Amino acid sequence: MHHDDTEHDSDILGMLAELPRTAPLDAGETDRMVGRLRDDGFFRARSRASRWAIQAAAAAAIFTVGAFAGSRYARRNSLEEMLSRQHLTVADRVLLLQRAGSAYVRAAQSYADATAHVDSSAVEVASRVLLGAAHAVARSGLDAGLSARLTTAMQPAVAPETPSRKPVIWF
Amino acid sequence: MTPPLLPFELPDGALIRLFLDGDERAFRMLYERHTPRLKMTLERLLGARRQDVDDLVQDTWLAGCRGLRGYRGDAKFSTWLTAIGVRTTLNHLTRGGDRETEVLDELPAPLTSSPASMIDLERALAALPTRQRIVVVLHDVEGFTHEEIGEHLGVAEGTSKATLSRARHALRLALNEGVSNAS
Repeated sequence: MHHDDTEHDSDILGMLAELPRTAPLDAGETDRMVGRLRDDGFFRARSRASRWAIQAAAAAAIFTVGAFAGSRYARRNSLEEMLSRQHLTVADRVLLLQRAGSAYVRAAQSYADATAHVDSSAVEVASRVLLGAAHAVARSGLDAGLSARLTTAMQPAVAPETPSRKPVIWF
Repeated sequence: MTPPLLPFELPDGALIRLFLDGDERAFRMLYERHTPRLKMTLERLLGARRQDVDDLVQDTWLAGCRGLRGYRGDAKFSTWLTAIGVRTTLNHLTRGGDRETEVLDELPAPLTSSPASMIDLERALAALPTRQRIVVVLHDVEGFTHEEIGEHLGVAEGTSKATLSRARHALRLALNEGVSNAS
């Protein structure tokens, strides 16, 4: 440790090495220190159990807020919510149309699966619903002949040939 | 109900964790384990102003406890605490100006039967100029390197070495003077 020890200093170093290294504590010294730390805010830590309870409550609160925010977001983007909104951009309306169409396909597929063995009229029902939708669109008078084309396009689906495969109705 | 005693052999790391969890007994154990050494070191650094040592020990522990969450255990806890104590003491000495020898008389008188006794040495140390005393105490008593001392004092290693050499010379003169007076 003492790299620069010299013969010359060995007497001084010997004496310094023999100096006592500790001083006794005064009576009450530890108590005074504890009191000072207490004034500074120490020793007020909560017990492990209460800390665990607080952490659990915080986790539950975070989960609840997250779930609420998630459901709000999901509801805001639901078909019904979007349909009820008046101010949608053209892009949003295209998206809405696509989503409604996809929803229709999924619903028809689901109906067909559920009735495959007990109700052979699944395709008929799906087609009627789609045709009804096309007529409703026509009544609302879409521009550029879209409604008329939609109705025409739907006609063959009303009375299909003998279906050779699973009755999936694509929108 | 009195809380159960902690086993005395608990290592510093375990006591520190308990203390940070609010365990007062753990702090008491740490304090009583490390304060005697810290107190003696600071007392020597203070020299003639050793009456301030109790305040400085408290300031050191307070600063240490406030920064304890940052203690990573890279150095021994005692070394870490001593470094805080040295810094606190140097600040204190800097703030207090030069009141070097005003309370030297509070030190015990030298023993005539043993002129170069430990008490003579303590008195000689206390009478050294502040910078020399700090260097000799940190290097020759506490085992700090010149690099560490340089960092604490804000001086180059070479300056620390030169100061140590002057301090030892001054100590020798003071002790020889004590011997001549006694004879």
